[in-house]
Amino acid sequence: MPPTAAPHRHLLDVAGLSWSDLKLLLGTTEAARRILGSPTGRVDALKGVNVTTLFYEASTRTRISFENAAKALGANVNSVAVASSSVGKGESLVDTVKTLRALGSNVIVLRHERAGAPWLAARVFDGSVLNAGDGWHAHPTQALLDLSVLLRNIGAKDGTLKGRRVAIIGDLLHSRVVRSNLHTLRAAGAEIRLAGPAALTRGFAEAAEKSGGVTLCASLAEALEGADAVMALRIQRERLDGGEVSSFEAYREAWGLTEERIAAHAARGCVVLHPGPMNEGVEIDPDVADGPRSLILEQVAEGVPVRMAALWRTLRGDAPLNAPAPAKVNS
Amino acid sequence: MSRPRAERTLLKDHWVVDPVSRRAGVATIEVHSGKVARLEWRDGVVEARRAFIEGAEPGPKDPKRLVLPALVDLHAHFRQPGAGASEDVASGEAAAAHGGYGAVALMPNSEPAADHPALLRELTRTTAPRGVTLMPIAAATLGRAGRTLAPMAELAAAGAVAFSDDGNPIADPALFRSALITAGALDLPLIEHCEDPALTQGGEAADGLVATALGLRPWPAAGEISAVARNIALLRDAIRDEPRARLHLTHLSTDAALDAVRAARAEGLPITCDITPHHLSLTDAWIAGDQRWAWEYSEQHQASLTPTADAYNTNLRVCPPLRDASDAAACRAALRDGTASAIATDHAPHSREKKEVEFGLAANGIAGIETALSTLLAAHAAGEFPLSLVAALLTTGPAAVLNQPALARGLAVGGPANLVVADLSATWVPSRKTLIGRSINTPLLGKTLTGAVLLTLLNGEVAWKAE
Repeated sequence: MPPTAAPHRHLLDVAGLSWSDLKLLLGTTEAARRILGSPTGRVDALKGVNVTTLFYEASTRTRISFENAAKALGANVNSVAVASSSVGKGESLVDTVKTLRALGSNVIVLRHERAGAPWLAARVFDGSVLNAGDGWHAHPTQALLDLSVLLRNIGAKDGTLKGRRVAIIGDLLHSRVVRSNLHTLRAAGAEIRLAGPAALTRGFAEAAEKSGGVTLCASLAEALEGADAVMALRIQRERLDGGEVSSFEAYREAWGLTEERIAAHAARGCVVLHPGPMNEGVEIDPDVADGPRSLILEQVAEGVPVRMAALWRTLRGDAPLNAPAPAKVNS
Repeated sequence: MSRPRAERTLLKDHWVVDPVSRRAGVATIEVHSGKVARLEWRDGVVEARRAFIEGAEPGPKDPKRLVLPALVDLHAHFRQPGAGASEDVASGEAAAAHGGYGAVALMPNSEPAADHPALLRELTRTTAPRGVTLMPIAAATLGRAGRTLAPMAELAAAGAVAFSDDGNPIADPALFRSALITAGALDLPLIEHCEDPALTQGGEAADGLVATALGLRPWPAAGEISAVARNIALLRDAIRDEPRARLHLTHLSTDAALDAVRAARAEGLPITCDITPHHLSLTDAWIAGDQRWAWEYSEQHQASLTPTADAYNTNLRVCPPLRDASDAAACRAALRDGTASAIATDHAPHSREKKEVEFGLAANGIAGIETALSTLLAAHAAGEFPLSLVAALLTTGPAAVLNQPALARGLAVGGPANLVVADLSATWVPSRKTLIGRSINTPLLGKTLTGAVLLTLLNGEVAWKAE
């Protein structure tokens, strides 16, 4: 079954999504969660739709949760392992997308190391493109699942994040997670505190100045002050340039999330997030990652229903996603 | 190609601007046997002189047809030899004629690079069927590799009008100084692409809000500014040994670099610079899909950073990168105050294969020779430049940089009829149908432009004519 004409044919970005768009997606996420909790754990709502995951970068949670999400909606799933495909022989992204189209793909879930790659794919594909992370730019479904988890745990009574302070710590420059979270958290009304080593926050001082509700802080303590939630970002060893922070040890010393630091500065009950994969003992201590504040496994679990909602929206627009009727109980 | 003979062409009551005789106003031009046979200013010569100096503009009742001397480009890439899929001399010449150009200097970054006299002679022997004057710029270093000077004296003898490693800077300062001195001794300018590659390596978009929002690798302004500062210091040093050394900085794009040139010129250093049509008229917000002319932004109308469906258009990938509205405004201010004395198209055609890729993997360059005049006329219509300045920046300015006054002899009775006729009010849309160059990698595709070339006459013959 081909996809029907939908008003949101692709999910390339969360920038530009309004609060009501986001609420609709989160509502669909709730419906998806009910499907996952039903006896079969699946519906046939997207029966006949061919979903292809095309990942140019390694990924575990994003790819698997997209695939599980597509299966839970009844779609057919196949995945292109870039290393063993024609891409390895130098096939361009455009040619790969055209090939997938010819092979009957209706949906491409694309992870790529270059910013904007999903826009290129969307221009040559007649189905839907979902951005599963493009370079440093965006990771829409990660931001959606972070938003969903935060609303559930620290949401205000009105269902927003108004009055809530969220700190994001670490390598902002190379992070698609922070860029997408800035859009969704601002749309939800949160106050955002950013911090990280100067070399890895390049451009963010100017960006923060231009966007209301965002502050770039000079230290971890300042960013944590009164925070209701804190998100640590993954730090990669090759990005420590030998100046301000020259080693994982030096990084932990200045920017590592420890229970002591959170307890000293953050709001009581402050929750902790991490998009994964973690360097435990570097950007986050193991006792924080595994401790009572941690929502990290909840984030991973949220990946499937959020990605079901994302798939549903691109294929069926604003139509409601219905959970299966409860099974009849024989008396 | 046999061109239609235009034995006699009458351009009756057009708005004529001639930056050589410094006259402007309504005039009638008659072309006969390849020459300007008659040129009559409706209100007389004295009035036309006054109109030029005062920057008079056609009024509501004046003709909308504009005549300028044929345009001169000091910086284009026709990709011959080596990249015929993108452009060659024949397609490039046709594109130039469509743009209103009568003379074009070709950068040496062909494959192989134009670093050998035989390659230059081959190019100068290549027939240009539409009559556009093609001039080779020779590589300053062998293979444009920045290690050894090219045989500059032999290249000058073979017809080089300037030297440049364009596409690359001459990174080694000692070699740069030697190139300046050697070119100066040959009485030719060195044209430098100002970029410090250590700062710009991997850069995808100008360091700033757009790059941050779109996750593009930053190309810092300092990558241009530090190179310009270095080059000025080396020029100051070099003229002590060779007073004829002349430095031309091409495609400058930053406020601070233009300030540095302004100060160097005030000091009396033999330095000039040019600006491309795209750096004065577009901004990096186009990469997000916000397609407004650079002069349409203000405090109240800031760039939108939310990517539209048109975002990450690789036709916007160019070196140096497009910058924000204030740098574009600085480019226009530099053209107005004479710091920059020429518009150079940096016409850089690329085949689809090189552009239909991820933004960060796309070849740098914009094919701009067919849209340059329309872009300048848009700036004029917005009140940015008087027509007298547009005319000078596209003709006498670049000819002076190349020290080739014969390229811009203006519109004089008895002189060659090299001229372009444009309609100031006609609109057109760049597309595969309307552009005639081999590659159409311009961000202006699909945008309605006001001001279209109707006719290009070179030595009185039709080089290009609108249907």
